[in-house]
Amino acid sequence: MRPFLEQCTNGLAVGSIYALIALGYTMVYGVLKLINFAHGDLFTYGAYLGMTLLTSLLLHERLGIGPGLLVLALMVMGLVALLGVLLERVAYRPVRSSPRLNAVVSALGASIFLQNGLMLVYGARYQVYPDVLPQTAFSILGLHVPVLRVGVVLASVAMMAVLYFFVQRTRLGAAVRAVAIDPDAARLMGIDVNKIIMLVFVIGPALGGAAGLLVGLYYGQISFTMGWTYGMKAFTAAILGGIGNIPGAMLGGLLLGLIEALGAAYLSMAWRDAIAYGVLILILIVRPSGLLGERVADKV
Amino acid sequence: MKRVMGALALALGVCMTGTVRASDTIKIGMIAPLTGAWASEGQEMKRNGELLAAELNGRGGLLGKQVELVIEDDGGDPRTASLAAQRLTSRGVVAVIGTYGSAVTEATQTIFDEEGILQIANGSTAVRLTEKGLKNFFRTCPRDDEQGRVAAAVIQKSGAKRIALVHDSSAYSKGLADEINTLLSAKGVTPVFFEALTPKEQDYSAILTKLKAAQPDIVFFTGYYPEAGLLLKQKKQMGWNVPFVGGDAINNPDLVKIAGREAAQGFRFLSPPVPKDLDTPEAKAYMAAYQKKYGEAPNSIYGVLAADGFRVIAKAIEATKSTETPKLREYLVGSLKDFPGYTGTIAFNGKGDRVGELYRVYAVDAAGSFVLQP
Amino acid sequence: MNRRLALIYGIAAAALAVVPLLAGLSPDGRYWVEVLNNVGLYALLALSLNVILGDAGLFNMGHAAFYAVGAYTAAIFNTRLGVPILWTLPLSGAVAALFAVLVARPVVHLRGDYLLIVTIGMGEIVRIALVNNVFGLTGGANGIIGIARPSLFGHRIRRSEEFFYLIWGFVALTVFLFHRLARSRFGRALNYLREDEIAAEGSGVPTARHRLKVFALGAAWAGMTGTLFAAKMTSISPESFGVGESVQLFAMVILGGSGSIPGVVAGAAMLTGLSEVFRGFASARMLVVGAAMVLMMAVRPQGLFPVHLPRFRAADLPSPGPGAPEREALP
Repeated sequence: MRPFLEQCTNGLAVGSIYALIALGYTMVYGVLKLINFAHGDLFTYGAYLGMTLLTSLLLHERLGIGPGLLVLALMVMGLVALLGVLLERVAYRPVRSSPRLNAVVSALGASIFLQNGLMLVYGARYQVYPDVLPQTAFSILGLHVPVLRVGVVLASVAMMAVLYFFVQRTRLGAAVRAVAIDPDAARLMGIDVNKIIMLVFVIGPALGGAAGLLVGLYYGQISFTMGWTYGMKAFTAAILGGIGNIPGAMLGGLLLGLIEALGAAYLSMAWRDAIAYGVLILILIVRPSGLLGERVADKV
Repeated sequence: MKRVMGALALALGVCMTGTVRASDTIKIGMIAPLTGAWASEGQEMKRNGELLAAELNGRGGLLGKQVELVIEDDGGDPRTASLAAQRLTSRGVVAVIGTYGSAVTEATQTIFDEEGILQIANGSTAVRLTEKGLKNFFRTCPRDDEQGRVAAAVIQKSGAKRIALVHDSSAYSKGLADEINTLLSAKGVTPVFFEALTPKEQDYSAILTKLKAAQPDIVFFTGYYPEAGLLLKQKKQMGWNVPFVGGDAINNPDLVKIAGREAAQGFRFLSPPVPKDLDTPEAKAYMAAYQKKYGEAPNSIYGVLAADGFRVIAKAIEATKSTETPKLREYLVGSLKDFPGYTGTIAFNGKGDRVGELYRVYAVDAAGSFVLQP
Repeated sequence: MNRRLALIYGIAAAALAVVPLLAGLSPDGRYWVEVLNNVGLYALLALSLNVILGDAGLFNMGHAAFYAVGAYTAAIFNTRLGVPILWTLPLSGAVAALFAVLVARPVVHLRGDYLLIVTIGMGEIVRIALVNNVFGLTGGANGIIGIARPSLFGHRIRRSEEFFYLIWGFVALTVFLFHRLARSRFGRALNYLREDEIAAEGSGVPTARHRLKVFALGAAWAGMTGTLFAAKMTSISPESFGVGESVQLFAMVILGGSGSIPGVVAGAAMLTGLSEVFRGFASARMLVVGAAMVLMMAVRPQGLFPVHLPRFRAADLPSPGPGAPEREALP
């Protein structure tokens, strides 16, 4: 029983990271009906920028761990959000009225550009985060759970809760939902659609960047290709939960993390990624609207 | 368009006609991963080669001519490597040193062999490379089966009864794991765990949990250092203390960086000796010269193995007073005995493999240094 | 096809035919022949992706999987059953086509970006399966070695120059056949499908079946190219068939001009040529490719060398009555 529960906690931790990244995908898709290929790379930028800021500014030493990391997180999120806005302006806005393929290619091109840009700046080797967080663990129900793992899950859930509150309970959030449902009607209601889109490209990437920072702090090692794998899995999570649906992204992320961990543990480690992709394909065949999605994806 | 391409190819073909030169230097080729995943190895190979060429020329060169080192980048990838090999063959090199990575070397073997050029690999340990009967292929690095033997011996010596083997599905890693498995089975020992992890990922808690459930006494990981570092770190996070041992792909200073000093302490791995442990006077003098020229000591043993490859070729040319491959080959197989290489004495057998045992056991100490074990 | 294009093809063919002979004149010649060989293989792959992506408008980013299936089929039949490698050409094409139909069937109805992601996933699953030595046939990460050289009419094809003729001969055949396809009923139906699926369905085009057919066709060609690749390299391993390859092919088709046969070949030549010229700067090269893709979509989405051929000649149209304006002949 214990290994099973341990695998579950593993899965939940990874899953919460997937969920954070998935939120970015789902929000952008909701308003633009476009899969932001470069989102995974924004996540990677978060991790790298976090590392650079952490090692150069040493905030955790100047301000203490708690406040130091908080300020770091805000900085990283801000920078990545800026990058996201830039991305939208350069790669997505010019093709907004063009056929679908153009936007897809543009997104792909942006992703390639970002990934290689990072590689040129930082080099191809793995980079390591300095050890700033306590490595302690505690025992619960006989399970050995590292504090960090709980921290990751809590941080992710906290961010998701804030987002959910924002989208459901604030006017701006309502505007976002309106644009997601029907941009033209929203425009008629006096909503500045361009601003909303920009906002989405601030929030989504900020969350992705935060996820990157979390990954860096938790695992300690980052590489410039991690955006690709995490991106694909996060996208799978978003689809699993129902694309365009925010609670869906959260649920999908956690669920995918669990499925992957348990599948890898009980079926085969070597096929772990294939299991995740298999879930994606299965969902799209069997229930393309995802678990919580109300709308069926068009032309499916 | 096609017409432009055709014209371009034509023009290039004509332009290239003018580049044949008189051979007033002896060209020794090197094919190395100057870019790509193994760039750090390739860059060291280059440095070693250039240093030796400069030293040799300072002493008058070979057979009265200056020696020129011609380097091509194989990018750590078989396809790029085969193009690079093609380029080298067209440059009139008399022999080639390289490369790192068995799959990459394999892509170049046929090309050099078909052109009758001697090749001495420095970082390709897959057994099959010298089992194909290629007459002109040699290597200064050991083979995976030697590492397998040493690994099996280490495991047995540790007294462990329940053994876990973990690899990463790559050719090298799985090959080594299979080798160890076969040797253990021959002694009647079956591993309680034999599985692969996915490389280039970060979260190995799943496989560690699964490993832990199998309750091994010792875990042997045959993969590369990034994954090893993460395994060590995450195993410590789990509070699991079973000893881990690794293969030679783990030999990299970044291991300690990734795992953290605490987690890495006590970890053992197999490797040919690291440069700082090469203790002959010539080796020490060479390290000093390298340090003087480049400002730091060599980090990778594979770079020094390339240096030994270069010296062996130079010796063969001197001794046979010729640059013809059949003569060089004969010399290397028949007459080269106990050549004082920096990495130890060198001799080759009929297959082109280096004779002698090179693998040692290293342990990571509390300060994060790699300490040679007796 | 029109006369000007035919002339261009003729000149290109003549120039290419002479290249290997000239190559013997210079020490670097063999190397350039090898580069052109690679261009040829990529051109074939790009052409095969073009029918799926360019003609039918189906976003396929897992094309390397078909390539892999073909290459491995050829390798397995050759090394285990002793089938001469050229005879495996139709086999690998057929197996790849079958594979394509099997995997595409459940997902071919998906729209644009979804199909893209799913094909990426499928490509990765194929690669993982190859690495894990599925069915015990694929040799794991080592791949398969010892593939025989092709032999044509008793002559063993071994040197780069000989492969040049084999590969580019195949390219010429492919270009010819695909031009015929473009003018055929099926080809026109594919374009219709790309432009407006609902209208096509309404006009009686069996869209689902055509989509499967085009996947099969593209896969078959990629599979056959896989055979040529296997024969040339004599050993294949999973690392040659990853997502990076699929992305490269995608870029070649898009940047060259999706739907345009000469455009796609030019795209392949350009990207492969760039790789060689920028050998030392792999990241910088990809940076440029990525930026080019973004820029192109904003500025010139039809690609660098779009050639859209008329399906008919002006002279074939029924002549208008007297007094109607003169019809202009299409270029």
